[in-house]
Amino acid sequence: MTDSEIIKLVLRGEKEKFRMLVEQNQQMVFRTCMGFLHNKDDADDLTQDIFIQAYQSLSRFKGEAAFSTWLYRIAVNASLNKVRKSSKNLILQRIDAFFGTGKSGEAPFLPSDAEDPENILIRQEHVEWVRRALDSLPDNQRTAIVLSKYDDLSQKEIAEIMKTSQGAVEALLQRAKKNLREKLSAHGKNK
Amino acid sequence: MKITAGKNQVLFLTIKITKMNCQLCQKELDAWRDGKLPGERKIQVELHLKECETCSGIYRLQLIADKVIDREKELQADPFRVTRIMAGIDNLEGSGNEPANPFIKVLKPVLVTASMAAAIFFGILLGNLSGPVTDRNTIPVELALIDDASIESVNILLNE
Repeated sequence: MTDSEIIKLVLRGEKEKFRMLVEQNQQMVFRTCMGFLHNKDDADDLTQDIFIQAYQSLSRFKGEAAFSTWLYRIAVNASLNKVRKSSKNLILQRIDAFFGTGKSGEAPFLPSDAEDPENILIRQEHVEWVRRALDSLPDNQRTAIVLSKYDDLSQKEIAEIMKTSQGAVEALLQRAKKNLREKLSAHGKNK
Repeated sequence: MKITAGKNQVLFLTIKITKMNCQLCQKELDAWRDGKLPGERKIQVELHLKECETCSGIYRLQLIADKVIDREKELQADPFRVTRIMAGIDNLEGSGNEPANPFIKVLKPVLVTASMAAAIFFGILLGNLSGPVTDRNTIPVELALIDDASIESVNILLNE
């Protein structure tokens, strides 16, 4: 049964059929949320909200794009909204770090030459500064890099989700990678 | 001569490789990691990474970033969420938040408006069927011409 056939049945009142759409796309939505939120519980909660939101808006799905593309758009918008809402908490965390009570003030890590690049152990501080570097990207660059790195989507698919051209996506990805590299190397220099 | 030319070529290549600067190396790093660089450029980047501490440090940082992302990607969504999502959808019932067929969504207000208009129309029509009120209360011309003052009082007739 195709996605559009399932959607027709759901709209006719067979809402239990929506379960099939959830099962097919849950991991994909969850991965996107993880790319923005970096927290499993938050990503799970947001995934739930996104599917309920998608169910409520199902009559507005015109079928011009694939259902997954439409769902990706909802997921990206919901994730960005969630990130913006939690920015207040981030400010509080930074104040906390400034006064030396938070964990985010830890010294950044630069791997030594002695370490084998392929076998570098990931420590908590690595995770923290990679997340911070990703979160500091502008929204459109961040969206492009999340869809590329977390969801392994092609530039064509990303362009469709972001309603832009492939060339624009390529430029966005290049700028995002450059920005990430600069932010990561700045961490290295600070050490 | 040929051997000399060959030596010169090797010497030239060596100079070219050592002259790759950090800016160019970092620019080519993504392409190198994706395996998109041609042979000569690839060797240049690899040699530069071996010699340059800063660039090899950045390369390692990128590897770490990829590992962090891979670790987040490996996480699985909560399998019980499907049930929770469906329960959440069930709770929407009666709250007016369910998805409606677009046809029904448009047809419903149209039908309500049409039935209201029909009710008003039939009400007016029924009201008009019973005839105009003014016709019933019209006084015949003969009665209208009677002079009330000239009519004898009923009391006179009673006293007789």
